[in-house]
Amino acid sequence: MAAMNMNQEQFEQAIREEKPVLVDFWAPWCGYCRRIGPAYEKIGEEYADSLAVGKINIDEEPRLAGAEGIEVIPTLVLYRNGKAVDSITAPGSKAEIDRFIQGALAK
Amino acid sequence: MNNNRVYDMLVVGGGPGGYTAALYAARAGLDIVVLEKLSAGGQMALTEQIDNYPGFENGIDGYSLAEKMQKQAERFGARSEYAEVLRMDLTAVPKLVETSEGIFRGKTVVLATGADPRTLGVAGEAELVGRGVAYCAACDGMFYKGKTVVVVGGGNSAAADALLLSRVAKKVILVHRRDALRATKIYHEPLAQAENVEFRWNSTVSALLSGDRLTGVRLRDTVTGEESVVDCDGVFVSVGRQPATALAAGQLSLDKGGYIVAGETTETSVPGVYAVGDVRTKPLRQVVTAVADGAVAVHMAEEYIAGGI
Repeated sequence: MAAMNMNQEQFEQAIREEKPVLVDFWAPWCGYCRRIGPAYEKIGEEYADSLAVGKINIDEEPRLAGAEGIEVIPTLVLYRNGKAVDSITAPGSKAEIDRFIQGALAK
Repeated sequence: MNNNRVYDMLVVGGGPGGYTAALYAARAGLDIVVLEKLSAGGQMALTEQIDNYPGFENGIDGYSLAEKMQKQAERFGARSEYAEVLRMDLTAVPKLVETSEGIFRGKTVVLATGADPRTLGVAGEAELVGRGVAYCAACDGMFYKGKTVVVVGGGNSAAADALLLSRVAKKVILVHRRDALRATKIYHEPLAQAENVEFRWNSTVSALLSGDRLTGVRLRDTVTGEESVVDCDGVFVSVGRQPATALAAGQLSLDKGGYIVAGETTETSVPGVYAVGDVRTKPLRQVVTAVADGAVAVHMAEEYIAGGI
């Protein structure tokens, strides 16, 4: 499944579910966010069974981004049981995102 | 991917040089795969507007151009893999590239690994990335709306960064170690006319000042040796590039700057291995010269394959 665009309400509901949630905080003007886009979509497909994969546009959800302490984009955050487990900023490769997810899921 | 399939060509890196090699190889009927760790385009993908690639009269953003190059190559049968290269054996027969997605084998290898931004080499720099230190104005410039930023460098990319930032930031201070820009003339006038751009010639950054995040820089005058502090919210480092050749080092000839030694034919010191784009020794590193390399590399590779291995 492709990564879903989330608003605050959808985000709050998603992180309360049993399935861990991976969120990409991004903005349309961020070139590097665009660069990780195709790899992130692929991640969404590959981890469809174990993760809910979403995206939050920080321009549309500035308060949510602020509340989650997002200062740099792209930042990926993995949530489990309503809490942020770990985050990674501007990953350099799809393999780095894979390693991040596996590390975070193991925590 | 740990099978015994032997490709005619492995292309390492999916920038303009890599995808042009892929296009020419696929059209020549070669069995080819592009190994790219993130997405097509390389450095070009982060360029906001490319106005010197012929055929796009109104310019085109680098990401879109990269996407087009990828799709064009794939239309003729080129494959792309999201694979981060971990190790290469360029002299093995067949040549071997070990990646995060397994091992790939090929009769020929095109190295199109490009270059990355050079750092300042000042203490605390790495820790401050994302907290005031940046290498890409097109990517991170918007975070500095209404703020004061320093741009370090005097070449085309520094000048372009300073111009871009002058439209966003309150004030831009361009710091350059010489007394004039090396940038192409086209940048001089608009920079000189921008009211919020200030120049600090003959200066280098000697220290990054920070609390939780960057608060300023200390500059050293290269003539007098005097030091001064400039308060700022961000530093954009635009002091050139370094080639991504760490994985090839020791296997083929590199020059002093770390670039792969290869001439117009793109042939490296190892038969069947070609270097295209910014990673190769060349006088001008541009998208147009990278794509030309890609085409030439395939021509040479075809001859190499035809000659038997």
